[in-house]
Amino acid sequence: MVPEVSPDAIARSGVLVRIPPALRSYTNGQDEVVLEATDVAAVLRALNTSFPGIRDRVVDEAGRRRPYVNVFVNEEIVMGSLPEAKLKAGDTVHILPSVAGG
Amino acid sequence: MPRTIKKGSVVVAVGTKKGGFLFHSSDRRKWSVAGPFMVGNAVYHMILDPRDGRTVYGAAPMWSEPWGPAVYRGRAGEVMKPTQTAPKFKEGSDLAVTRIWHIEPGPSDEPETIYAGVEPAALFRSDDRGGTWQDFEALNYHPTRKEWQPGNGGLCLHSVLVDPRNPKHLVIGISAVGAFESRNGGRSWTMENQGVRAGFMPNKYPEWGQCVHKLAWDASGDGSIFQQNHCGTYHRGPDGGGWTEVTKGLPSEFGFPIAAHPHAEHTAFVAPLVGAENRVFPKGQMAVWKTTNRGRSWRRSTKGLPGPGAYLGVLREGMTVDANDPVGVYIGTNTGQLFASRDEGESWKMLADFLPPILSVSASVAG
Repeated sequence: MVPEVSPDAIARSGVLVRIPPALRSYTNGQDEVVLEATDVAAVLRALNTSFPGIRDRVVDEAGRRRPYVNVFVNEEIVMGSLPEAKLKAGDTVHILPSVAGG
Repeated sequence: MPRTIKKGSVVVAVGTKKGGFLFHSSDRRKWSVAGPFMVGNAVYHMILDPRDGRTVYGAAPMWSEPWGPAVYRGRAGEVMKPTQTAPKFKEGSDLAVTRIWHIEPGPSDEPETIYAGVEPAALFRSDDRGGTWQDFEALNYHPTRKEWQPGNGGLCLHSVLVDPRNPKHLVIGISAVGAFESRNGGRSWTMENQGVRAGFMPNKYPEWGQCVHKLAWDASGDGSIFQQNHCGTYHRGPDGGGWTEVTKGLPSEFGFPIAAHPHAEHTAFVAPLVGAENRVFPKGQMAVWKTTNRGRSWRRSTKGLPGPGAYLGVLREGMTVDANDPVGVYIGTNTGQLFASRDEGESWKMLADFLPPILSVSASVAG
């Protein structure tokens, strides 16, 4: 279990990851998780260590991001590869389903 | 088992484009329904495990399409949840499972074992009720794989037959690659497409590339198999060695489901559609056709089925049988109607209307 951390602590040392409702069964209902990671790919690996299986919901087994899943760092969508999306302490990572449909 | 589904009831599990449902009845006259389960998801297949009559499995995306495919599990009538992991290709293969098409229970003496047929075409096995999965490497990374072509529904492995006499004897069907057979538990496979037409190919009888739509064991119990194909209906004898086309007597060569009688040998049900270019019942009349002689002749049944003016179809998992005497036959349409026959297909009654499009129908008995 990843311990809950205060906002101040996040700003000092960690990255805040917002968990979408559909994936909270993996996190035992937690909607936010704080991790130490320097890029988004590392966020997913760290998440998966604490919550096995959750990474598979964001990327497939070939390592490709699922087509209708978006990752944002703060308010910027990650368009390139996940390892290239660098992070610094205090950043917030959002994992969100895209609005698919008409 | 919740009190709403009585022990001994026939349970018809219906997967739809928006969730799964369990229709259940102790006399097959008066039916009740539980559900929806896996709410909002396209349930490609849903079964009540016949080995315990209590565990329900479903194949559906994870909550909604974005999060990838999952196998769901739950007790009949209760909430179904994704199992710990979904089938996955091995690392480095550059393949990724996009959809689970079929779940098949393992043999009766291996109650924790289930098989999953997936897209892109591959077979997986779980020995812990879907918690973890093993890859059938000889099939899933077959030397011909790079040349496999999808059918209109995708490159899907949709039929999994486990021989009740010998669980190491497996037969699978892939659209549009064909049938494969293993007699050693999946360590090696042979292509079993001799005599099956591929009318859309330059060579009409290739070694592989056939568009098998559904396979079913013949109740003869000797390994004989029925096949509904994109290009005809077929029967294969006990020793393999080729299929015999048995389309003659049917209104078309095209259909999706085929369901074999569980007790009477050489007996099966099909639901032919106009053709690949128009996937509805001929002349706007829904009909189920039955053979009792391995396809040498067919008899049409329409009593209680809609038409004329019923322009609808049935998908590959859309028809099944129960194991009662007389056998019940169940068929679900892509316009959301579920029909049942409790006299072996002689007459039909609509069990439900206004369901979402029906993707799969399977029957079992509550334990």
